[in-house]
Amino acid sequence: MANLRIEHLHKRYGATAVLNDVNLKIEDGEFVVLVGPSGCGKSTLLRMIAGLDGASGGDIHIADKLVNTLAPADRGIAMVFQSYALYPHMNVRKNMTFGLKFTGVPPAERERRVTEAARMLRLDELLGRYPRDLSGGQRQRVAIGRAIVREPAVFLFDEPLSNLDAALRVSTRVEIANLHRMLKSTIVYVTHDQVEAMTLADRIVVMNKGCIEQVGRPLDLYYAPANLFVAGFIGSPAMNFFEAKVAGVEGACARVDGPGFRSFDLPATSLKMGDTLTVGVRPEHLARREDGSFTVEGVVELVERLGESSFAYVRRADDRLFVAEVRGRQTPTPGERVALAAANRDVHVFDSSGLRVSSPTNT
Amino acid sequence: MPESVSNITAQMPRAKLAGLLLFFLGPAVAIYTLFSIYPLVATMALSTYTSDPSGARSFVGLANFKTLLGDALWSKPFWNALGNNLIFFAVHMCVQNPVGIALAGLLSLPGLRLRGFYRTVMFLPTMLSVVIVGFSWNLILSPLWGVAAGALKAVGLGSLFAPWLGLESSALVTLSLISVWQFVGIPMMLIYAALLNIPDELIDAARVDGLGQFRIFFHIKLPLVLPTISLVSVLTFVANFNAFDLIYSVKGALAGPNFATDILGTFFYRTFFGNQLQLGNPTMGSAVATVMFFIILLGLCLYLFFVQRRIRRYAF
Ligand SMILES: Nc1ncnc2c1ncn2[C@@H]1O[C@H](COP(=O)(O)OP(=O)(O)OP(=O)(O)O)[C@@H](O)[C@H]1O
Ligand SMILES: [Mg+2]
Repeated sequence: MANLRIEHLHKRYGATAVLNDVNLKIEDGEFVVLVGPSGCGKSTLLRMIAGLDGASGGDIHIADKLVNTLAPADRGIAMVFQSYALYPHMNVRKNMTFGLKFTGVPPAERERRVTEAARMLRLDELLGRYPRDLSGGQRQRVAIGRAIVREPAVFLFDEPLSNLDAALRVSTRVEIANLHRMLKSTIVYVTHDQVEAMTLADRIVVMNKGCIEQVGRPLDLYYAPANLFVAGFIGSPAMNFFEAKVAGVEGACARVDGPGFRSFDLPATSLKMGDTLTVGVRPEHLARREDGSFTVEGVVELVERLGESSFAYVRRADDRLFVAEVRGRQTPTPGERVALAAANRDVHVFDSSGLRVSSPTNT
Repeated sequence: MPESVSNITAQMPRAKLAGLLLFFLGPAVAIYTLFSIYPLVATMALSTYTSDPSGARSFVGLANFKTLLGDALWSKPFWNALGNNLIFFAVHMCVQNPVGIALAGLLSLPGLRLRGFYRTVMFLPTMLSVVIVGFSWNLILSPLWGVAAGALKAVGLGSLFAPWLGLESSALVTLSLISVWQFVGIPMMLIYAALLNIPDELIDAARVDGLGQFRIFFHIKLPLVLPTISLVSVLTFVANFNAFDLIYSVKGALAGPNFATDILGTFFYRTFFGNQLQLGNPTMGSAVATVMFFIILLGLCLYLFFVQRRIRRYAF
């Protein structure tokens, strides 16, 4: 178990910069999830932590030790790959002990660790089998077992569940959470799946184009996204965005106005008359209600019923669509004119550079 | 739902099905029959005849084979050629294939520069005509005007030089090594292609497990390309027991010195077509060809029963 510190990490392939000045501090025992769109450099970052790829600049410390020049095996990490990467010509037991042989772990100790990991991951029955005779979920557990027996300071997972079907993904997710609770080790976990990120993470790191956009606890990212990118990335369906302008400034209050919604006041001292803004509201925060300073109107165009809730696609006066999640049995019908409102704290305002300004106050 | 092929064919009128089969399989069967099966059968048939000096042929059953294996005049050169052929094969197995594997391993190292250049250069001799290769090496190794003696002297190893191609003791091995030099590109390419098939993540996993490139090669890559290596061995076996051209172009049909480089191919050639004072004997030649066929068949059967069944292919 150990902390992990990444300082000014850069990675370039020729002229293309893949990672740009990445700084990240991960505490001992923390479960950190890296998310971001495809190609943003998550795998690259993970592989650099593992030592599989070299850095173009910057430092990586594991357990307060500089590991820049250490080989992967000497960094105290273990990695679980997306394709599992089990050795096809070795049975499960051999797959798990193979690496230990080369790091000088005595046979008795190897045996103890394998037995322990097999018990933890319910692999006892499978120790003699070859990877080809295992199901996807079992292979995944073996891959995790191979990581556990290394007794690493830091576990690295690269999209470990993406090859599993939906049901198995849920159960394996729970297992990984349990594992973290039992082992209390530091974990860096890459995923595409928002639910995985929200449920597993102590903290989520949102990356975009080789940079870290925001680091925070799952609910902080959800309720207080630092910028437009994070706001649009976290949450499904994605946040609705409305173009807006500062229509007037009175003392410490700016009047925000835009096509399709009623204007409201914002406590913001730095804004000037005429500044362009973006207002963001999550579909699940829009409801038919009277309070709330933010109200949009439009004509329902399409309704998707999911059972516990429905998604209404609403066309505003300025011909743009937005989505509202409507709970309960009172689903709107297409063609109906609706007015939907959100509570102040659920309205996010971003300035022209994409940074969060604040939420409106009650007027 | 797309219908399965067997369903479709089952519902077809028989005549139409036959026509379809003929259309798809006919050309291949015809060509294979004409150029492979017919010559093979004809050769085997010819090996059971003998011809008198007038040219008339008469059926003699297996008498030719009895002569070939029993009459010292025939059996001595036959066993000599077979023994030489085994040595020829052994040199290929012990040198060509390990070197090919090693080169493929080096080519597949991550971060190797000029990879395409090395690959092409090492494959180049394979594309040369055997006649050119034989002639060039004959010149290179010639004690009179060859560069080998001078080159060895230049690095202080002049005393090691010998007219290798001319000595009974070394001619066969020298020729085998020339053949190895020419054809090492083939196992290299086949195994290199197999190595490329191994997923990168598997190699990464081994690196995380603490293996260096050398151990990764021996513990991970090599076991995974065993099927290809065994395929290469079979190809080597068949090619070696059918070999003829290199010996013929360097040493002529007499495969000197004193038949030291005589292999089954050259032995067959002399028997069938004749050479200098020896008259061509097509019926005995056919017997030799038939024996060669059965030797290769036996080798393949042994391989299929003892090796192929134990080898496992891995899907990644
Ligand atoms: N060897 C390489 N040479 C050049 N560019 C590379 C190389 N490896 C990766 N890249 C680039 O680096 C960027 C980041 O790749 P990376 O695999 O880290 O993305 P990712 O965030 O893991 O994406 P995904 O979610 O699809 O797995 C990509 O744009 C990719 O094209
Ligand atoms: Mg990736």
